[in-house]
Amino acid sequence: MESKNKTANIDYTLILIIILLGIISVFSIYTIQDFLLLPNYYIKQIVWYIAGAITIGVIMLVDYDRLRQVSWVFYSIGMIMLIMLHFHFPPGIAKEVNGAWGWFEFPVLGTLQPAEFMKVFLVIALAHLIVIHNEKFKEHTNKSDCWLLAKILLVALPPMGLIALQPDLGGFLVLSAITVCMILVSGIRWRIIFSLVGLALVALMSILMLYIYFPEAVDTFIEDNEFGHVESRFTSWLNPEAHNQGGAYQLIRVMRAIGSGQLSGKGVGGFEVSHIPERHTDMIFTSIAEQFGFIGSSILITLFFLLIYRLIHIGLQSNDPFGSYIVTGIIGMFTYQIFQNIGMSIGLLPITGLPLPFISYGGSSTLTYMIAIGIVLNIHYRTKVYMFDS
Amino acid sequence: MGEKKKKKKKSQLPFRLNILFIFVFVLFSLLILQLGVVQILNGEEAQKQIDKTENTQATISVPRGLMYDRYGTLILDNVPQRSIVYTPPKNGDSVLKRLEIAEKLAEFIMMEEKMDDLEKLVRERDKKEYWYLFNATEAAARLTEEEKDLDNGGQYQAMLDKIKPNDYNEFNWEDPKLLNIVAIKKELDAAYQLSPHTIKNENVTELEYALVSEHLYELPGIDALPDWNRVSKVGNTLSTFIGNITSSDQGIPRDKSDYYLTRGYSRNDRVGISGLEEEYESVLRGQKEVVEYTTDNNGNIVGSETIIEGKSGNDLVLTVDIKLQQEIDKIVQEELESFISQNPSENKHMEDALVVMMDPQTGDVLSLSGAHYDREDNEYVDQSYRTIIDAHLPGSTIKGATVLAGLDSGVVRPGEEIYDTPIKIAGTREKSSWRNMGYVNDLEAIEKSSNVYMFNVAIRLATATYRYEEPLYNFDWDSFQVLRNYYNQFGLGVETGIDLPYEATGLVGDPGPRGQGLLLNLAIGQYDTYTTLQLAQYVSTIANEGYRVRPHLVKEIRQSNAKDSLGPVLESFDTDVLNRVVMDDSYIDRVQEGFKRVVSSGTASGHWRDNKYKVAAKTGTAQNIFYDNGKEIYTYNLALVGYAPYDEPEVAFAIMIPRAGTGNDQNGIHHAIGNRIINKYFQLKEERQQTGITENLNEEVADQENQEG
Repeated sequence: MESKNKTANIDYTLILIIILLGIISVFSIYTIQDFLLLPNYYIKQIVWYIAGAITIGVIMLVDYDRLRQVSWVFYSIGMIMLIMLHFHFPPGIAKEVNGAWGWFEFPVLGTLQPAEFMKVFLVIALAHLIVIHNEKFKEHTNKSDCWLLAKILLVALPPMGLIALQPDLGGFLVLSAITVCMILVSGIRWRIIFSLVGLALVALMSILMLYIYFPEAVDTFIEDNEFGHVESRFTSWLNPEAHNQGGAYQLIRVMRAIGSGQLSGKGVGGFEVSHIPERHTDMIFTSIAEQFGFIGSSILITLFFLLIYRLIHIGLQSNDPFGSYIVTGIIGMFTYQIFQNIGMSIGLLPITGLPLPFISYGGSSTLTYMIAIGIVLNIHYRTKVYMFDS
Repeated sequence: MGEKKKKKKKSQLPFRLNILFIFVFVLFSLLILQLGVVQILNGEEAQKQIDKTENTQATISVPRGLMYDRYGTLILDNVPQRSIVYTPPKNGDSVLKRLEIAEKLAEFIMMEEKMDDLEKLVRERDKKEYWYLFNATEAAARLTEEEKDLDNGGQYQAMLDKIKPNDYNEFNWEDPKLLNIVAIKKELDAAYQLSPHTIKNENVTELEYALVSEHLYELPGIDALPDWNRVSKVGNTLSTFIGNITSSDQGIPRDKSDYYLTRGYSRNDRVGISGLEEEYESVLRGQKEVVEYTTDNNGNIVGSETIIEGKSGNDLVLTVDIKLQQEIDKIVQEELESFISQNPSENKHMEDALVVMMDPQTGDVLSLSGAHYDREDNEYVDQSYRTIIDAHLPGSTIKGATVLAGLDSGVVRPGEEIYDTPIKIAGTREKSSWRNMGYVNDLEAIEKSSNVYMFNVAIRLATATYRYEEPLYNFDWDSFQVLRNYYNQFGLGVETGIDLPYEATGLVGDPGPRGQGLLLNLAIGQYDTYTTLQLAQYVSTIANEGYRVRPHLVKEIRQSNAKDSLGPVLESFDTDVLNRVVMDDSYIDRVQEGFKRVVSSGTASGHWRDNKYKVAAKTGTAQNIFYDNGKEIYTYNLALVGYAPYDEPEVAFAIMIPRAGTGNDQNGIHHAIGNRIINKYFQLKEERQQTGITENLNEEVADQENQEG
């Protein structure tokens, strides 16, 4: 009744896209060497890619279906790390960078950012949860959907909360995007999804109204807690020229750098704007846009689009709901990060600390994305093609 | 049944994934669209913004002008100094950033070489703050609920209070490296945004300076700058008149910041705040070089242009003869010391000796000396500023002015004789001369220092009728002002106009409704008080045929010369006549004659018999009664004014020794000092004539004239 189509199982297109992104990443980091404090970031990035490739190889060995058995173990490990970070434990290893307690710094080994890994862990846990639920409740009713929604939120909210408290707004938003995408494909009926969207819109509108009509009240509420910086980023995004200091100063310089790239860019090494912070990590898109202009940036965005397209394709092909859900979560993760990162560089969104997947320098993040790709490749590799299923 | 459901479920997953895909497509399209706006629509504008250059001006300090004495001897020099400076960025660096800088900087400089000195720099609070840096969470956890409601400063203080020695002793405070880091961090903490703060400027070794200079790129905000210090070449001599300047940390005085800022100073500029440094600030400061740098948007310098050429501060040539000054200082101190040690009980209140010497014709101040005996520490110190700050009763020294007031107003005629016998006004004590002299004329009155003659001048000025033991009838109260107006013409009671930021003018007494007799005291120098400098100007005016000249300490302003020599003269301060005494020349001649007789046959003759220089002078002895622990103490101010040589006066002097001799009004210290300073003056003059040193510093010009001659 069923047989495997062996030849189509390794997705070379996806691998090719990742290799291209890797080349762009290493090359971009190489071109901005002079602006960085430490040398050889690009070599380190190559090392991370190689480590990522090896990880992919390891992941490919095991059937991704086995992930269902360990999904809660991973989720728990991620949560434990986040809780430890929350209490700045263990002292000396838990580390604060730029005001956020988001890192473990191990002697010799280097730093680790649990929030990055939590993204993949959450995807797996939610996928597993949805599959179990849907197996149990074959029919979607209002009651069962609400129950599913409650379970999803119960799993997604704790890590989101802990990451938000670090405070890492970017990480929080990525987890939100993952959760939203997975709710979308979980089979919850449209009426509930629409009412959720409506509820979210109302909440958003009321916050905005509150801010517009009672800015002082909001200010005093926001001022004293960890989210104070969110407001300042928001205001400087709305009107950068008026806040020509701090955050807006960054944005003005970044947008000048990107804008001056114009259609075809200034060529390799053609940098004219200095003092761009996080040039090799969160702001790496700036150097690509300045050197290679609209054409270069569009090629990169297209490449990202192809990546997402490929992921959707794999998700569609997979006839195992668990696989599809995982792929969807990963799509949510990548899409949001790409949109947020590039969007903030070109003034479409407020500035938030988030790396550009595959391009930004960073061990934890690159490794996380490679693991995600490894899982996707695994899902594709083990997709059973039903000959007579058309 | 099951198959159907499965189909339904399967069919909705692709549908929803497709919706997700459409959503992704929209998002990515938005990105491309916005990118098009930023890069293609607004790209040119962005490029324009980048190409825009900015002009910024930077000022470069120039060395301050030096000071020389009238013979070109360097008095005040600049000594170059290296300093390490920290300028915090706008809104300052974070604490951790400062610690990082301190740690880095500590690799290159040591705040103190010796462990002891280093330990002194780091106080307990500094140790607590250091511990807090690494244990902020723990420190915060120790706060009580009430303390958490405090403002940031209060909370911080409360947290520091709770840090105990066994906390901060986690660190090894025996380690000089740690102490050094903390000492540096302390300086960094004290800096204010955008204004340079000196971290170390004393004993910065050449190596430290070089190390810091080489590593500036690792040390944001740190700079290694050349600086200079004012160093006197003559020790403490004249130091109060030379004055002080602020350090670059102090900058311009805060209360006058507007004044300086509008004159092109920057906040950390060093300015004169006392003495000649303050008075001649505009001359000494020079012109800062202003360079305009053109920078691109990244702060890279793409061009520079000198807008204003820098010019070193101009040098001052003082009127003071530093050699004479030093000798006079020595004489004054030696005599004070010798008189006090010879008769300690009689002179137990004597503690100052003040001398001013000036050229009566030009107003050149030749020396300002003041020795002070500090009884508590039993030491003699130079307090020459008292010559212009302290005012004392001058006694009979001013009788020359009183006689001239009498002659000019016509109340006495030259040669008119007045009978010197005790005078008694009802309700006051009997007043007399130091002995009853019988009939005295104006010359004899000065020569013998007749008080009664002066009393009569005063009574006549007041158009009053005097009878023994009766009040002064018809007393004209305006006479106080009339007499003071005469004195003012000689500089007594008014500013002398010396080129210093401050001088005292003395006390002017208010006689009250019954103080008629005080006019008589005023006439013999027993009422208003005057500074030694005022007395010198007074005697100079008499020596100078009634021309009152402004005493001045600066003779010339000269362009600074790169070599250690004087540059060309930019401005020369010639004789500045403030006023001419409005009276007949013959009257002045009478007083000059009287002053001559004081020395030859009068009150001073005994002390001046052996002096070979033609000195004219007037002595003064004023009763100086003061209260010490409620006890009336009678002392005498001993004063002497004079000039020499009397036919062609070139030096005038005023000597004031307040509170000399209890019970003895003639211990003679003023004459002892007077003799020695006059001898020294002429002796130095003769020496200079022999060695060919002239006052004229324009030697080239002088040579040319000689050749022509």
